[in-house]
Amino acid sequence: MTDYSYFPGCSLTSSAAEYDVSFRLVAAAFGIGLDELADWNCCGASPAPHHWGGELGILLPARNLHIAGAGHPSVVAPCAGCYNRLKYAQFELERNPELRERTGAALDEAVRYQTEVLNVIQLLNREIAPDDLSERVQRRLSGLRLGTYYGCVLVRPPEVVRYDDPNNPVKMEPLLNATGAATPHFPFKTECCGSYMGLAKKEIVLQASKRIIEVALECGIDALVTVCPLCHQNLDLRQSQINAAYGTDYHLPVLYFTQAIGLALGHSPAELGINTHKNADFGNWTLDVG
Amino acid sequence: MINLSQTVKEGAAVVAEIERRSGQRITACLQCGRCTSTCVAAFAFDYPPHRLMHLLQIGLVEEVLRSETAQLCLDCMTCSMRCPMKIDVAGVIETAKAIADEAGLRDTEPNLRLFRRGFLNNVCRHGRLHETTLLLWFNFRTGKLTNDLSLAPLLLRKKKVRIFPPRIKNMRQVRRLFQQVNRGAGPPG
Repeated sequence: MTDYSYFPGCSLTSSAAEYDVSFRLVAAAFGIGLDELADWNCCGASPAPHHWGGELGILLPARNLHIAGAGHPSVVAPCAGCYNRLKYAQFELERNPELRERTGAALDEAVRYQTEVLNVIQLLNREIAPDDLSERVQRRLSGLRLGTYYGCVLVRPPEVVRYDDPNNPVKMEPLLNATGAATPHFPFKTECCGSYMGLAKKEIVLQASKRIIEVALECGIDALVTVCPLCHQNLDLRQSQINAAYGTDYHLPVLYFTQAIGLALGHSPAELGINTHKNADFGNWTLDVG
Repeated sequence: MINLSQTVKEGAAVVAEIERRSGQRITACLQCGRCTSTCVAAFAFDYPPHRLMHLLQIGLVEEVLRSETAQLCLDCMTCSMRCPMKIDVAGVIETAKAIADEAGLRDTEPNLRLFRRGFLNNVCRHGRLHETTLLLWFNFRTGKLTNDLSLAPLLLRKKKVRIFPPRIKNMRQVRRLFQQVNRGAGPPG
């Protein structure tokens, strides 16, 4: 049993609560211990690096790194945004002594920033071999065609996150394939969903996300799989707004990576919080198939 | 503070500053248009990315600093990944935005700026984001009270709305992080 520090981030405590629930279920099934960081704060998400000179985009996640520095050797951040901000903070603190100094001044001690930061795909690939998962499958996802949607910030900028291929990431595929699901070619796996513009500049989100759903359907995909709560919000929750804006009739389910694995492990859609999504109808594919 | 001027000489100084901060060479841009063809938000910009690069090449910096493009770029970095000259186009745009912000050019996309400020003030108050109060505050400030209201029933029914804001214990430390902004001067208004 390996223990990890766990940084859930704001979304996983509210609008993406089902991501937290499904992640904990999958981790427990494979004996992965998760210690939630004590008194963590918001990582700053997309607004912080683009406002007031951008420094809060480093300072806010730095405090979480500092807390993680007193815990396990690695910290996992399932939210792609939180993961990106933690990696960014590490990158900037490493090369900027003056920033390191000022961060330490706010924290009252030298900032600890070198804890290994993992995303959820990285953690599960490290702890679960595809063959092991295949043996543990209670509900084989055969016939289900999953579109692996990675988004932007999990893989970019490559010199900061250093994870997978920034244009054609493939690290979700082995575990998903081990569940019996197919992962057909999906050329929009790193197209941007419109990011945080949903409230202030909705037309960008609606058009960007519409194209992703449209291409997914053209590729014969039954459900998208993501690791980012903001992508999920834009692609699932806002699908009704897309339909209203473009006269479409999309009902494409969007799953978190951990929900797809949880389904294969035999958990019910309700246990995994899939019933909290706007689109939870898998069409011809029924969740009770054996 | 950058002094905006349309004289070629001073325009060149701003371009040099953008190059210095972003670490990119503007002149390396071939104007092939790859950045624009990959951009998911270009339809909403006044200048698509390759035209923005061209404006910088010919020294028309004020157009760039006052552009919607600088404010609306999603920073998804697709253009930077696809540029055949390996220019970090998103980094150039982000730098132009930062310089425009420093110069106090506030005539484009005030709502987006308002959203970011509201988000950060929310975090400064609670230590974590409280989505409910951010949405209510933003809609109240912009006068569009029904914005995203259609999403509320599902969120409420599925218990994904936190009525009461979260609050972390060490708020003092979070506030001190905010005070470190601007090299210790704190957030500008």
